[in-house]
Amino acid sequence: MPDPLIAKLKLLIVETLRLEDIAAADIPDNEPLIGGGLSLDSIDALELVVRLEKEFGIKIASSEEAKRALGSVAELTAYIREHADPSRLPA
Amino acid sequence: MALKDAAMPQLRNPGPSWGYRFIRLCDATLPEALFRPLRQGGTWTAVLLMQRQRGCSRDYLRVVLGREPGPRDLFRHFLSVCEALVLRLRVAGGLQHRCVHGPGSSDMETWLASNRPALLGTFHIGNSDLTGFMLAGQAHKRVHLVRLRVGNSHDTDALASRFGDLLRFVWVNDPSEMLFALKEAGSSGDAVALQCDRADHSTRCEPFEFLGAPRAFPFTIYHLALIFHRPVILSFGVPSGPAESTVYASPAFEPLSGEGRAEALARCRIHFQSFLRVVEAHLRVHPYDWLNFLPL
Repeated sequence: MPDPLIAKLKLLIVETLRLEDIAAADIPDNEPLIGGGLSLDSIDALELVVRLEKEFGIKIASSEEAKRALGSVAELTAYIREHADPSRLPA
Repeated sequence: MALKDAAMPQLRNPGPSWGYRFIRLCDATLPEALFRPLRQGGTWTAVLLMQRQRGCSRDYLRVVLGREPGPRDLFRHFLSVCEALVLRLRVAGGLQHRCVHGPGSSDMETWLASNRPALLGTFHIGNSDLTGFMLAGQAHKRVHLVRLRVGNSHDTDALASRFGDLLRFVWVNDPSEMLFALKEAGSSGDAVALQCDRADHSTRCEPFEFLGAPRAFPFTIYHLALIFHRPVILSFGVPSGPAESTVYASPAFEPLSGEGRAEALARCRIHFQSFLRVVEAHLRVHPYDWLNFLPL
């Protein structure tokens, strides 16, 4: 059974960045989010971070942390699971 | 806003790192009757030695003047940079200088009197660099300045030290650090000022009609406005007296809740193009106020 958090994050990426040509399910789990196949730039990354903070009640406290969190969908999932308010995570 | 080309800063402020301190020393020790001819001599030297900047100046002046610029035109263009720099250094040293609002700047006045955050777009025209600092000082607004750190940022550092905590810098030289710094600045209740006429350190550029042709301008400020739901006010400042600059500001662009991104960006484009017409109208009358020595 697919991880519901991964599915939610992929959907959130597509919605936040208005990726019209990409379906959420097509985003690979282990490809870099920035500079990878999605062709996201630093402004996309900024928009994504702002949305993630609002959605999951997290606070990304440094650029190093942001880079780590946005390494890939898999890394983002692990980061959210570690830092988010559990009540905001999908069941 | 990631740097496209890490070598680009070398093209900017190409003078020696001690140059600004030397200018301040001369200003402090020489009477104006000697210092002014010295500046003019230095300006002629710059015109002769700075081949790349001379070429960019010639290309710009040809377009704005509608004729082939002569040596005197190039000299006046270079001298305007020198005079703006000297004034910045004098203000950094404590010289009193005030900013007044030009016609059509009522949204800027309203914003200055408010506690709202905003994104301020500036242009390298006349005293614009200085007016950003002065507005922060006069209105006691905390402003985060998004800047490219170059070899000799002495004028920036000196002005920053005069205005203390009211000014904070987001240096775009390091893209990885820039992202986080920009998030902090944008999320704060402060103003964030970005320069909107040099495409060299922006990933989000768009073409706008300017001086008779479509030319690339940074558009990042509007993306930030939509991300953080902040108004955008564009402005430039020009000398209007011995101790005064006049700031011409655009109406505020306001993001609307629930508006689609495509519709919002379309409004952004109209807002920017509209103010570019004001900029162009000013430059047609005061061509030497354009302090960019980069390709149009």
